[in-house]
Amino acid sequence: MAGLASAFGSGAMTNSISEISDARVVFVIGSNTTEQHPMIGMHMLDAVDKGATLIVADPRRTQIAKFAQIHLSHKSGTDVALLNGIMNVIINEGLVDIPFVKRRTENFDEFEKIVKEYSPGVAEKITGVPASEIKRVARIYAAEKRSMLFYSMGITQHITGVDNVRSCANLVMLTAHIGQPMSGLNPLRGQNNVQGACDMGALPDVFSGYQRVSDPKARRKFGHAWGKKLPAGAGMTMIEMFDAARAGGIKAMYIMGENPVISDPDTSRLIEAVNKLDFLVVQDIFMSDTAELADVVLPAVTFAEKDGTFTNTERRVQKIRKIIRPLYGALPDWKIISELSKRLGYDMQYRGPHEIMEEIALLTPSYGGILHHRLDRFGLQWPCPDINHEGTPFLHRKKFAKGLGTFNPVEFIPPAENVDEEYPFILTTGRLYFRYHTGTMCKRTSTLEREEPECFVEINPKDADKLGIKTRSRVKVRSRRGEITVNTLVTDKTPEGIVFIPFHFREAAVNLITNPAVDPVAKIPEFKVCAVSIAPVMQNPGERQKSCYDRKNDIKALLELYEEPKA
Amino acid sequence: MTDYHVLYKRHLSYWLRQLRRNADLIGPLRSLEGDIIFSSIENIHEIELDCPASIPSPKEFIFPQKEEMYRFSDKGVAILSNSRKRIIFGVRSCDISSIALLDRFYGGLYEDNFYVNRRKNTVFISIACNNPDPTCFCLGLGTGPFLDAGFDIQLTDIGDRYLVQVGSCEGNNSIKGLKHIFMRPQKTDYDEQYEANLSSQSRFEKRITLDNVRQKMLEGRVDDSFWESVALRCFECGGCVYECPLCTCFNVVDWKESEDRGVRMRIWDTCMFKGFTKMAGNVLPAGKKILRTKRWYFHKLLYYPEQFGKFGCVGCGRCTITCPGRIDMATIANKLD
Repeated sequence: MAGLASAFGSGAMTNSISEISDARVVFVIGSNTTEQHPMIGMHMLDAVDKGATLIVADPRRTQIAKFAQIHLSHKSGTDVALLNGIMNVIINEGLVDIPFVKRRTENFDEFEKIVKEYSPGVAEKITGVPASEIKRVARIYAAEKRSMLFYSMGITQHITGVDNVRSCANLVMLTAHIGQPMSGLNPLRGQNNVQGACDMGALPDVFSGYQRVSDPKARRKFGHAWGKKLPAGAGMTMIEMFDAARAGGIKAMYIMGENPVISDPDTSRLIEAVNKLDFLVVQDIFMSDTAELADVVLPAVTFAEKDGTFTNTERRVQKIRKIIRPLYGALPDWKIISELSKRLGYDMQYRGPHEIMEEIALLTPSYGGILHHRLDRFGLQWPCPDINHEGTPFLHRKKFAKGLGTFNPVEFIPPAENVDEEYPFILTTGRLYFRYHTGTMCKRTSTLEREEPECFVEINPKDADKLGIKTRSRVKVRSRRGEITVNTLVTDKTPEGIVFIPFHFREAAVNLITNPAVDPVAKIPEFKVCAVSIAPVMQNPGERQKSCYDRKNDIKALLELYEEPKA
Repeated sequence: MTDYHVLYKRHLSYWLRQLRRNADLIGPLRSLEGDIIFSSIENIHEIELDCPASIPSPKEFIFPQKEEMYRFSDKGVAILSNSRKRIIFGVRSCDISSIALLDRFYGGLYEDNFYVNRRKNTVFISIACNNPDPTCFCLGLGTGPFLDAGFDIQLTDIGDRYLVQVGSCEGNNSIKGLKHIFMRPQKTDYDEQYEANLSSQSRFEKRITLDNVRQKMLEGRVDDSFWESVALRCFECGGCVYECPLCTCFNVVDWKESEDRGVRMRIWDTCMFKGFTKMAGNVLPAGKKILRTKRWYFHKLLYYPEQFGKFGCVGCGRCTITCPGRIDMATIANKLD
């Protein structure tokens, strides 16, 4: 989000899902689309059926990559070099949209200087993608007018996450693939309402609608509406909060709908931080691993038990409706917060979610015309500034949200951890189709649980041969922070030198070993790259686990069972 | 035996109100978002007859997605059964055909008490399709758009009235004592039904031919590369199986409600998931997607005819509508043929 905001002035998918099927080029980078965003994957396949060119950049050969005319299997964490290489070709071959760059963007010269250094040859050395492929992609992407660029967590979960996003934005501006239908830069948000949470200011430095806390005007407006003086400084990000808790700077914490014990890197450090807290409140729909550590657990309701709205990845605000009465006395989130606030001395008097929506519309320009009664059929896409506005299917039409689009020169920075002799593999983490996040919900569904019951590590057949392991061997995966023991899955989906572990499992929580190094701006941890070693757990054929009882006692216990009860 | 009557459309709501006295009335409704769903009818005028196929299919009323079978506690076990009388109105011909096949599967081949119990308390009133959807292909399978037999009651829309065909005792009971609205048909009514049938048949956008499919599959003349191309587009969502009115697989799970009691239920399952055939030690006999997609089509197009003499597809088009990878039963069958 921070990367997009610095380039365009707003952070969201610039275009709409329905436009995808009419695109001529679909460029997907760092997204396992058909598995993690199947509905969007469906539209991408439609585009391919209509003759579009699909380009996928992903170290793994995912399902969407099998449909791609060009699959760039670059090394994990080298996205900036790859994109700079592509842009270098675009500049050198005169494929830049000069009128667009002149009229609507700034800082091109600075940016050009950096990109000049990343000739396809240099990019090839860093990324492992042949220079000819880089040239081909550049030509295809730039020459076609209707080119859409998509990215997801594969781009953002790096120490250079913001840089990666900036590079994507640079590419889009360079070729003027923005501000018109069937183009744009489209981050795919995986959760139903993660876009909504960002829009509502669930970030440390903004109010709703990305109005900066540091802006005195915005502060005055919100302060007036809420009748309180608001602090000017930005808050902390999640990773910073846990660091502060460990250092003793934070004494109490209130976690809503998150399970950081499984989802955040370097679990043991995190648990240490949580244990240092004086008071922890967790609000969730089920007893999650984090809730187990809490002093107070507030039961919240599920989607089916509440009214309100979700904002999806294409900025569409959609209404949800209560279909069953809340079970076991759980309350909707807004009610819990209002009640809590009342008891803390600030009386929030909302009679329902529609009144909260009215307040959002009042204080948030981009949500100005979004009210519950207008959302009945298909919802509305923000920006929707007033009550007669029909919503905006694509952004930045005549000008960018911040005026001129900014080229941010980006240098390639290698991942925080590199492979060496001791840790020769790059570990990248990701998700599985049948699992959702930490399993707080899906673990309770028998069919989903049956499909992926246990953690595994994907490894290329060539690496597996070298180590002498087969599918379903047990191996120890060790990093500088810890080790986990998992079964292997030998597959050519994962290229040589890279191993993949899904992060969903508590029994083999991969985040015990991932790197907590974060992006300096967005503070997103580097989940996608960490150096590990892999060693088979030796087990001789026929060897069994030792029984915990010795034989004598076993027989004794057996005999006791058959003994006649004494009269 | 088929009895013919004529029912004027203005009498329809009166009839349905009579029926509702002794049974739950279920029919197709259009939701706020435009989806068609079968649901309990509060207001008879809300029934939506001019609409595309409902998703899910009405099979969920006789073979529910989640069915509680037994309740158990430290006191013992109780078998649960559902004997509510139900009338399902506005069902399509393809779904009636599928229920006829389900009856042979769950009521004949294996006698499934839960199914039989629900089935014998349910009467289906179907409406012949004058306007097939673009995704429909029942014509080539002989399961629609008009049926000659197998229904309880079939209505045909002929202008301001319905031609009513009664095909079973349950159907007959539903119009008993209502002679004043079910009138004797004229010769022209039969002609009009015949014309409606012809005009409906001409409107199908999708055709399906299956003359050689079985032979080809049997002799192994279908190359694996064909199934590979199908499997490549499969997202493993299981939607085709869940929405298929003929798919009958379920899994049995126990749900512990508290320390001393719980419920055993069965839930729909799908062979498109690799865990469906999982064996001890996490061995997956159908671990590859190609094996699973292939098996599904073999079951529908080869094993079903062997067992029941009919294809395991009624041409409702629901799998095609649901599939995010746009895998289309009709296209595949035609390619195979």
